[in-house]
Amino acid sequence: MAAPGARPAQTMIEFRDVHKYYGDYHALRGITATIRAGEFFSLLGPSGCGKTTLLRTIAGFEGISSGVVLIDGKDVAAVPANKRPTNMVFQSYAIFPHLTVEQNVGFGLRREGLSKEALAARVAEALEMVGLKGYGARAAHALSGGQRQRVALARALILKPKVLLLDEPLSALDKKMREQMQVELIRLQRQVGITFILVTHDQEEALVMSDRIAVMFEGEIAQLADPETLYRRPNSKKVADFIGTMNFLPASILSESDGQIEVEAKGFGRVTLAADQAPGAATGGEAMVGFRPETLTILFDGQQATDRETMATIEEVVYYGDMTYYDVKLDGMDSATRISMRNVFGRPVLDIGTRTRIAWSPGALVLFR
Amino acid sequence: MKFSGLRLYTILYLVFLYAPILLLPLFAFNDSKVIAFPLSGFTTAWFAEMWADTQLHNALKNSLIVASSAAILATTFGVFAARASTRFNFPYKAGIMGLVMLPLVLPEMIVAMALLIVLLAMGVNLSIFTIILGHVLICTPFAVAILSSAFQSLDKSLEEAAYDLGETPLSTFRLIILPLVMPGIVSSLLISFTISLDEFIIAFFLGGNQTTLSVYIFGQFRFPAKVPSIMALGTILVLLSIVLLSIAEFFRRRGLARSGTKDTGGFL
Repeated sequence: MAAPGARPAQTMIEFRDVHKYYGDYHALRGITATIRAGEFFSLLGPSGCGKTTLLRTIAGFEGISSGVVLIDGKDVAAVPANKRPTNMVFQSYAIFPHLTVEQNVGFGLRREGLSKEALAARVAEALEMVGLKGYGARAAHALSGGQRQRVALARALILKPKVLLLDEPLSALDKKMREQMQVELIRLQRQVGITFILVTHDQEEALVMSDRIAVMFEGEIAQLADPETLYRRPNSKKVADFIGTMNFLPASILSESDGQIEVEAKGFGRVTLAADQAPGAATGGEAMVGFRPETLTILFDGQQATDRETMATIEEVVYYGDMTYYDVKLDGMDSATRISMRNVFGRPVLDIGTRTRIAWSPGALVLFR
Repeated sequence: MKFSGLRLYTILYLVFLYAPILLLPLFAFNDSKVIAFPLSGFTTAWFAEMWADTQLHNALKNSLIVASSAAILATTFGVFAARASTRFNFPYKAGIMGLVMLPLVLPEMIVAMALLIVLLAMGVNLSIFTIILGHVLICTPFAVAILSSAFQSLDKSLEEAAYDLGETPLSTFRLIILPLVMPGIVSSLLISFTISLDEFIIAFFLGGNQTTLSVYIFGQFRFPAKVPSIMALGTILVLLSIVLLSIAEFFRRRGLARSGTKDTGGFL
């Protein structure tokens, strides 16, 4: 996550009630959102949720059926893709296979009428920025996946666009390479200060890289927030489920007043929640409280709970090396919930059937209703 | 080596297919007017005799004009059709593409007769232009087939990337699409050229008093004395066809290698 503050808060992209139909298929269902200048913004959602379509409406590859898209304050309805101040890194990278690295990177500058020397200097600068110094003369088709990715980045950034669009740029890379590129993309974005808009279906990637994330389901933005808010205060069960893991327990709302919600939840008993712990609108469905696996902690001998404490029985143990997942049944609860513990050297992994003390805090609960 | 029934079948099949063609050069260099074994001696005289016939020069000129024109026209139409069918959806696409490809399986005799009747009814004089017309018809499906595979292997995001980087649709076509499908275009030109060069029925029906190479060869067979020099001409044509098709295949494979896609089979 990028450091907060020091960012100009002007709006770079604005969607106003954007709809998109493909025949009868309603791909975008009333998108209204703003993306700030200079932020790293992610569109996150499962495949078919409309995130790529939304990105392509910014690039100008897709028209919209109704609504308005503004880029830097200008309605771009009549502006074709080749005239928009945006550049894109494609999922397949779209490196021109018949050109060299240099020719690929300098492709967009052809129209600027630069001298040969100026062009070469700009290309060299862009290649250095993405860590491909000295690769200019290589044939594009001879590059590895990670190198293609970098060429695509250099080719898009050399035009100094107002917005860089990234369509699942890391999905074709292996895990190690992907993690390395995530870090490099963040560094690059801070360096150039351009608004980056990333499309991804990988929630971890979105959490790691973004200043803000729009979670999309079925053509709608379900929640738009910074990563921490999304993780700590998801506004629906669906968002909570899509980002990380969350346990849900049936609950009943006893009373509500002055930003205080009194809730009775199995295993936790009677708790008072602050208004921000119920971020979602009421759906009229059955009330539930949710909590992340790491917000409950097993207390070992001599440890004290800082907030609340309860007893539980361990029903299942899954050992992951750095972490252990326990399925525990809190006393008074009907079924087990999953909690995760970071493994500490010298501390044993507990066995199934062990009775243990559990520390928890009402502040970690989220209410869905 | 094990001689199974299938292996024997394969060998007989290949012998039947190619042995007659191997006889062409054999008798083209044989020092005898009679096409029969045993061979009597080596000579290149038939090649000289073949070239001495001025009718051949005219037929050769006609064939080159017809084959070049047919190749260029068929390939041009092929580019349009392949681009349209691989990139866009339009009503009755399958039916329209089916009709474009139909001459591939239509008996040439039918095409030739139908065209002849129509052209005569329209009062068009038969000439090499009418042959070109017929040859474009039969070459276009081949061009479409070759070019479709070239256009198909083109990643759509390449076009979008060029467009995104500021190029117009037209300059995108010139800078990105054309260079990438060029091997396919060359391949299509060469194959269309070869097909037109070898074609007989349409050239015979629609040529009027103009003869192409194939019609000339057919005519010469009436004179037994001319047969050895026809063998010489045939030898040259076989070599030319092999060379042209090899070049076409070379370009087709290079095109696939360039766009980095798998080979899905060609004509060779």
